[in-house]
Amino acid sequence: MAVKQVLVYPDSRLKEICAPIVSFDEAAEQLLQDLVDTMVDAGHSVGIAAPQIGALRRAAVVDVSKSKLGKKQENHGLLQMVNPEIIEKEGSQVVREGCMSVPEYTGNVTRSESIVVQFLDQNQQRQIIRTEGFEAIAIQHELDHLDGFLFLDRVSSLKTDLFRRKQK
Amino acid sequence: MQHFALTIIGRDRPGIVSQVTEILFQGGFNIADSSSSILGGQFSMILIISNPKIATQEEFSDAFKPLEENNLSVFIRTLKPGGEIRPEQEGDLCMISVYGADKPGIVFQVAKELGDRNINITDLNTKLVGDKQNPVYVMMLEAMLPVDTEIEVVENWMEALKQRLQVDISVRSLVVMEL
Repeated sequence: MAVKQVLVYPDSRLKEICAPIVSFDEAAEQLLQDLVDTMVDAGHSVGIAAPQIGALRRAAVVDVSKSKLGKKQENHGLLQMVNPEIIEKEGSQVVREGCMSVPEYTGNVTRSESIVVQFLDQNQQRQIIRTEGFEAIAIQHELDHLDGFLFLDRVSSLKTDLFRRKQK
Repeated sequence: MQHFALTIIGRDRPGIVSQVTEILFQGGFNIADSSSSILGGQFSMILIISNPKIATQEEFSDAFKPLEENNLSVFIRTLKPGGEIRPEQEGDLCMISVYGADKPGIVFQVAKELGDRNINITDLNTKLVGDKQNPVYVMMLEAMLPVDTEIEVVENWMEALKQRLQVDISVRSLVVMEL
């Protein structure tokens, strides 16, 4: 068990593109465990990506099953993902997101409604899952971290956006 | 450090933000929070500012004279100690949409219903849309519910108001996904 410190912007590591995990060695296993431990320790968190704990490698964990909102929807429980990739996206939804690495700020972000994601799980098995709703949002948010994107890069509207269109 | 609220309003045109912030920057001010928008044809700015070297508004109010000369109105409010800190609020956020044929009192009656029940409006936009023959009023707000208030209860209150005001109202919970 190793709970790591969650990096907070402007730590430059949060803006890096992470490298794929080529060999699924002990270090990779340890990284997944650290991610799970840190996510659990952070109480409110439903996911965390490797760069948030300073590891610039393509791994992330998501578990929406413990959150108030995620509980109400179908979900896959704890997902430990190595080299995850979104291979299909459908629809779009606007959600207000916050992030442990950008405290005290939230913004409206447009995300795909449903996604198909493939990854290697903790047992080195290739998984392909289809998911939607909160879990899909969480996965998109965490995978963005692997490419150096924060939700701040995805904010799609200010609160008053509604009134900006079609000014006569 | 002493904080001030600065409000600036004037006919919209390019360059207002630049002119205002140049004065602040040259004067050594920090902008802590700010929000600006176009209302009608007016660009309006509200900023919470501070400057470690300045304790009273008399020390810097003259710096905004060039803005007044450019037809911008400037108002400065000296905050009480701690007035720059947003208090921690517990409770669920909800979003309420109110819209209907324009008539007097929509904003007031919705706000009164919420205020009387200790629901805290944290964001509010209203706009008159439609055309002269059929003016439509739109009001969108975000509000923080008291800890023990469920969204269904708010929906019931709004249902009653909807009948009384003859407008459409919808309430939904606004979930912030902490990731």
